[in-house]
This record gives sequence, structure tokens and C-alpha cells, in this order.
Amino acid sequence: MASCKATDAVYHVELPPAGKKLRELFYCSHMVHSHIACFYALAAPDFVMGPTSDPAQRNILGVISKVGLQVGGEVIKHRAYAQSIQAAIAGKATHPVGGVPGGMSKPITEEQRKDFETKAKSCVEFSKFSLKLFNDVVLSNKDYLNIITGNVYTMKSYYMGLVDSNNKVNFYDGDIRVVDPEGKEVAKFKPSQYLEYIAEHTEPWSYLKFPFLKKVGWKGFTEGKDSGVYRVSPLARLNAADGMATPLAQAEYDKMYKTLGGKPVHATLAFHWARLVELLYASERLLELCQDKEITDPKVRTVPTATPDEGVGIVEAPRGTLIHHYQTDNNGIVTKANLIVATAHNYPAMQMSIKKAAQGLIKKGTAASEGLLNMVEMAFRAYDPCMACATHTLPGQMPLEVVIYDSKGEVKEKLGQNLAGA
Amino acid sequence: MKTLILGLGNPILSDDGVGNRVAQVLEDKLAQREDITVNETSLSGLSLIDLLAGYDKAIIVDAIQTAEGKTGQLYRLNPDAFNNTRHVSSPHDVNFATALELGSKLGIAMPKQIIIYAIEVDDVSTFGEEFTPRVKQAIPQCVERIIKELNGNH
Repeated sequence: MASCKATDAVYHVELPPAGKKLRELFYCSHMVHSHIACFYALAAPDFVMGPTSDPAQRNILGVISKVGLQVGGEVIKHRAYAQSIQAAIAGKATHPVGGVPGGMSKPITEEQRKDFETKAKSCVEFSKFSLKLFNDVVLSNKDYLNIITGNVYTMKSYYMGLVDSNNKVNFYDGDIRVVDPEGKEVAKFKPSQYLEYIAEHTEPWSYLKFPFLKKVGWKGFTEGKDSGVYRVSPLARLNAADGMATPLAQAEYDKMYKTLGGKPVHATLAFHWARLVELLYASERLLELCQDKEITDPKVRTVPTATPDEGVGIVEAPRGTLIHHYQTDNNGIVTKANLIVATAHNYPAMQMSIKKAAQGLIKKGTAASEGLLNMVEMAFRAYDPCMACATHTLPGQMPLEVVIYDSKGEVKEKLGQNLAGA
Repeated sequence: MKTLILGLGNPILSDDGVGNRVAQVLEDKLAQREDITVNETSLSGLSLIDLLAGYDKAIIVDAIQTAEGKTGQLYRLNPDAFNNTRHVSSPHDVNFATALELGSKLGIAMPKQIIIYAIEVDDVSTFGEEFTPRVKQAIPQCVERIIKELNGNH
């Protein structure tokens, strides 16, 4: 979707209202299925089964055996509902082909709209149920709440996310807003201005860059207001916004901040709670758009007439802000491209979160059990990361060396691939 | 009996797309067989439940890399071979064995028989639609084996 918006900008074309709404409808469906999978398949096992439970049970199969087969069926059903809406609009749910510069390739029919509306209503109910499940299983367990709010999983950083004209969370369009670790707005900018606000630090040991806030500067892997490290994510979006644009999600937003002690929340594991608040917002917004009188308007595209040159498109991917920036020749052939994906924005913070969890949890003289190592992994998993999206190297052969040292600093093992001379 | 042939892989990542290519060849050869559906996808995890649901039998074709394997080698496996992948293969999704077990547990009509044809590959990191020579040679062999399998002979 970011590439669609970037090509709109490259061709200097404005979408007709129905085209824009159809894209947002499509995109809310995407958020619904991605957030469902992330929560139930990846996050829930740590909380429903317990962070140190047997790994053979700590998976979605364990979750459904504990919360009931019917819940599992609902997970699969609603994930499929959301994907079926995407496929109907754009050919396929994953790798869709419906977006074109200036809009969408085809409108939806009244029959499709009715089908989407029924599915969206069901998604709203399922989202409400998911938040209730989170409340019953996680929030009512004092130990889990202590883990979420504990210092080991807390990191003070800046937060970034797209907001609408009322500073409410929006996944598809708006301005990029940044708040500091105290929750105060420090920047609000248009997608085309992103290079004024974001720069990227590099380290020789990683293929992935380390983005930071240009005006604060790169101060290394450090927390707090003086460090340019910022985060994107469901929680970052909620922290960067003044609220949610739909009523049920707003009520859940208020409840989350009330429970966790006000804004902003720095608890990395609260990403999962924020993800469920967003699941409800995505479902409510999906339903709103399905009931919009303009949504079946056949005019879903403005055919571009301007000469293409350069453009930036920004959306909120499920795991955070996604930036696409293209430069093209007069024929629209891309000559330069820059992408900053959510996992890249979060990369400095991920390093710090994992280190903090490891240092807080692994004690000298105590064997690091599988359960304990899983608790370190939980700091990583909260970001719902996609390292494959975030790392790039051409022509594709990635030299990599892993050196394992013992406690005395002596090399115990070296592992490598595609190394020069190897 | 409804049978699905499903080619898995990334069709623009050299040998990784061999499952897709085998499926494309079979789609042409089996066009007359109304009991057989040929599909290809780059999806994995939970999405496989949706793709496999409703068929009596499924033949999955994919690229594989094993520790001692020789490029171009063809394997015929069943899903049990993947049960010991304890960790998720992607931070976004569940692994193959989990997806199959989940589908069955939830009462979804998963195929009663699933066969996996895997071709040992060499290059899965160079962008391109061409295969390395031994993998290219393995494609017609794999196609032939699957047609024999469909005819009750493997």
C-alpha cells in the first residue's frame, strides 16, 4: 500500500473519494488478519500457556486446547474473512494487484459490499471477544501484569505514527506525528518531508541500518529524551496519537492507559494489548467503510496525466510506519528507491530491548533455562519483526559470521556463510 | 476424489521457485482432469489451511535444502517428516506441521493424505527466474513421478 501511495505521488495524482475509501477498506482488512495471526499464533502462547511453560505446548495448538476449540475456529474464520475481502478487491490477499497510480483497478459491487459488511460486523464482535480474552487471561493474572509493566521489558523512547486531522490513529493516511518519552509532540510532518526528520546510522556488523530522529541525533544505543532512538508499532501509534477514531476502540484505548498508569506507556509487552485495541479499531473502521454510501461508486481511479518524477508514500504497516520513496525517469521507470520498513525503525530499540531483558533475566551462576531464554525472546517477539523485509543486500549472497565467546572472552566457535576465502 | 497439487516457493528467487514451476508444467499436462486442481503460492503457515481445505488428497511440491543432500535429488515425504521443527519458521506465522495439526483439530476438512515432493536445491538467494542446471534437470523427473503417483503408481 505504501508503494501505491508513493506511485500516486510520483504521478502527482489525487484519488477520487471512492478510490481512497476502497484502499482504506482493503487496508483495514489487512490489519484485521495480520493482528489476529500475530496475537493468537505468536503472542498468546506466552501468556495463555505461560512464558516458561513446555515449548511443546507453548504454541497456538496449546492455546486452543486451553481456551477451547471453538475459539480456534473463530480465529481461522475471521482471519479468512479479512483475507477474502482483500482477495475480492485486489485479486489476492497476499501480493495483491488492485492498486494502480491514481486509485484502484476496479470498483466493488453492491453484492460484494453486503458480503463485506456482514463479515466486518462479525470481525467487530470477534475483536471485542479478543479483548475480553486478554482481560480474562492476562490482565486478571497479577503475575502477567507485573511482567508486562516490569522494568526488564520497559524502554523509554520517542514514538512515531500516522494521525488523521484530529490526531487520531489512522493506518492509511495522514501526517506523521512524533512524541517524546514524556508524550509531548515534538514533530508533525508530511510524508514528503521525512528526510528532514529521519536519518539512518550504520554499523559494520549489521546489514540493517539504524534509523534515528535527525533533530535529536544518534547517541548510540541509549534510552531517553537525549537519544534519537524512536519506536513504531501498535503501541507507538497509540502513544503518538490523541486517541482512536471509533467509539469502541476509544473506550479500550482509555482503559489501557488507565490500567498502565497514563500516557505514554513504555512497556514493550504492552504492544500486544495495543495490537488488540487496533484490531477493534480496524474492524470498526472496516464496518464504517462498508456502510459508506460512496464505497460502491464506480469512479475509483483518476488516470494520471502528469509526467512522473518523484514521490513518497507512507502507511502504517501492522508492525509500524512504512516509508516508500521513489525517483523515476520520464517514463516512470524507477531510478532510485528508498524504503524504511517498520522493523528498521525499531531495530535500535529491538537491540536494546533484547539486551535489557537478557541482562535482567539471566543471572550469573544460574543456568539459562529454555523458559528464561523464551522470556528474552518475548522482548523481540513483541515487535512482530520482519527481518527479511528490513535487510537487503545485492546480489543476494549475504556474507555472515557468528562468533561465540565464552565467559572469559575466548572464542569458542565461529560459524559463517559466504565469507571471502571460505 | 478431489486432489490438489500445490507448488510452493518464490518464483523470482532462482531455485526456490522450483515448486511453482513443477505446478505450472503439471497444470498444462493435467488440464483435462476435472478431479485435480493445480495451484501455486508463495504463502505459508496459517494460509496453507485455507489452501488445503476441502480436498481429499494433496500433493505439495517445494524446494528443500538438507545437510547432506545432492542438488537435484528428489524426495517423497509425508507431513510427519516436519514434526520436529520446534521453532516457528517465521516470526509472523506458524510452521507447516502446526498449521496441519491446527486445521485437523479445528475440524476443518483437511486432506486425508498429504504427500510432499521436495527437490534438493542449490541457490535460493539470487533474484532470477532461472534454475541451476541440476534443479532444472529434476523438474521433468518430478513431474513424471507425480503423474505416476496420480495414476496409483509411485
